[in-house]
Amino acid sequence: MSEITLHDLEKQYGETTAVEEVSVEIEDGELLCLLGPSGSGKSTTLRMIAGLETPTSGEISINGDDVTDDPAYERTTSTVFQDWALFPHKTVRENVEFGLKMRGVPADERAQRAESMLERVQMDGYGDDDPTNLSGGQKQRVALARSLAVNPDVLLLDEPLSNLDKRLREDMQIELREIHEDLDETFVHVTHDQDEAFTLADRIGIMDQGELIQVGDPDEVYENPKNQFIESFLGDTNFVNSRVTRATADAVYVDTDLGTELVLPTDAEPAVDEGTALTLSLRPEILSIDQPSADGGTAAADASEQLATDGSSRTAVTGTVENVVYRGSTVRYSADIDGTSMFAERTDASTGALSADDQIRLEWNGADVLAFREDGTRVSL
Amino acid sequence: MTSTLHRETLENAVFRAGYGALLVFMLLPLLVVVVTSFSASRRVAFPPDSYSFVWYVDFFDSTQWLDAFTNSIVIGVGTALLATVLGVLGAFGQELETDSVVGSVVAPVVLIPLLIPPVILGITLLLYFNEVGLRGSYASIILAHTLWATPLVYFVMRSVFSRFDWQQLDAAHDLGAGPVRSFVYVVLPNVKHGIFVGGLLAFIISLQEFVMALFLSTPGTETIPVLAWTEIRQALDPMVSVVSTFLILISIGAIIVAAIATNLEWVSKQLS
Repeated sequence: MSEITLHDLEKQYGETTAVEEVSVEIEDGELLCLLGPSGSGKSTTLRMIAGLETPTSGEISINGDDVTDDPAYERTTSTVFQDWALFPHKTVRENVEFGLKMRGVPADERAQRAESMLERVQMDGYGDDDPTNLSGGQKQRVALARSLAVNPDVLLLDEPLSNLDKRLREDMQIELREIHEDLDETFVHVTHDQDEAFTLADRIGIMDQGELIQVGDPDEVYENPKNQFIESFLGDTNFVNSRVTRATADAVYVDTDLGTELVLPTDAEPAVDEGTALTLSLRPEILSIDQPSADGGTAAADASEQLATDGSSRTAVTGTVENVVYRGSTVRYSADIDGTSMFAERTDASTGALSADDQIRLEWNGADVLAFREDGTRVSL
Repeated sequence: MTSTLHRETLENAVFRAGYGALLVFMLLPLLVVVVTSFSASRRVAFPPDSYSFVWYVDFFDSTQWLDAFTNSIVIGVGTALLATVLGVLGAFGQELETDSVVGSVVAPVVLIPLLIPPVILGITLLLYFNEVGLRGSYASIILAHTLWATPLVYFVMRSVFSRFDWQQLDAAHDLGAGPVRSFVYVVLPNVKHGIFVGGLLAFIISLQEFVMALFLSTPGTETIPVLAWTEIRQALDPMVSVVSTFLILISIGAIIVAAIATNLEWVSKQLS
């Protein structure tokens, strides 16, 4: 039983607001990732849960107890820090034992628990080592063991993997996931890496400029982002400027910079007026790549299609390949579509390889396109 | 070897020789003092006509000098303890309160006593201690010396704390250590060498301080510099050289101890 409730949490440093109106309920045993760019307030939020920062206003409760004014050393949370913050003058074992020592656990029991924790993170045999001599990955494991040793109700992770190289980071993500499943404890993990958040999280909370914008399951926030910031932060995408020409009960018709009209099928008549400027997001994974048929034709000629009865709306544009970037598992094509630059990706480079200056045809289903107003809010289609 | 390298080597050699000569020139008087302390005659002359330990024997027979020696040590240790506690806590507190008004005024306030001429401080403190009934006590001189020693300890500790990883303090709090235990178990082991050096510095400052001690001391609390000054006014005999030799030895000893303390960990790393 370790659910955390943040209610209207706010933190100000002088004139600057680091965290603003953050409210969220973190369920017992959940792994919540707070994801956001640097300076978005995610670490400050975590430090307030830990008790290392005092909120300017708002409340924090853990297991229903208001802990807002409790200092860090009286809370049942434990933090793994970004730089691990191991005590350099203590051995690895003394580091892991520290929390237990502060709780008055007898020495022999302490040593036993420390040893089993070190084993848990595959660092057994390093007990007598000086932590300053360990590698980054090893330090990270020791820091994790030190936090787990006190058997916290909530484990807080403040970008602990960001100082590791890619391979090690990915291994540790899997391990963290396993530890979380084993322990069934509540974890709050702060990261700026969306891949890490998707790998680890039960739910993702996305922060920007001090505000918690959206909390949801990974697929929900990816497929159903609340605003344009989330859409751009969670993955590469093509943003295309457009203007509404006509809105009907089952579709919005827009004029785009791609030199063609687009049809965005809707379920309910959306709240957009004629002339409203919209930014459309076309993710590379919704674009299929082709070489245009021999007659080619102008983009406009075969672009705009009628709205199909099943609610889909195939649209295609043609243009010229500007460059091809080989990215290992994918190949990324950048194309000039009527003066606007777009990119699309293909996983299989062998079929119909395109090179610069070739003609390219991109096709998508209008139902997969997301639209955002000028203030960044999403238009529900 | 190229000619440029020759030139660089030459320039280095000239610089080192010049630096060395300056150092020797400035340190030579110390040697003169030590040598004259072994004089057999009543007057201070360099080089002495003949050598003996007679003045050393006299020193250990003189209750006046031995008392002054004891006074200096008592006051020095008292100053070192008080100034270290104040300087360490001041610097530590300021690190925790970097954003507050209190934090921003600590440094100038601590610095003030160093900027006031010791003569003024001496007279003022004499009047003040008379009023509060501390005249003639060790405490009066210890407090006066602490005014001077605290800023030095404070600035040593500021630089020591600037190299401390403050996330460790967060980690200690996070693992359940309250303010006192996190300071004792986590901060102290990181900065203990700095504290030791700061304390030693305070001790030496107190040992050498003359002007304030002259105003504040009574015959019962006279320190070595004060007694040396009164003795010189009567007759310049090699006893002063003997006392100076002891002071020089104490200072050199303190420097060696400080160097060992700060480098002990480095040395042990080299050996392991």
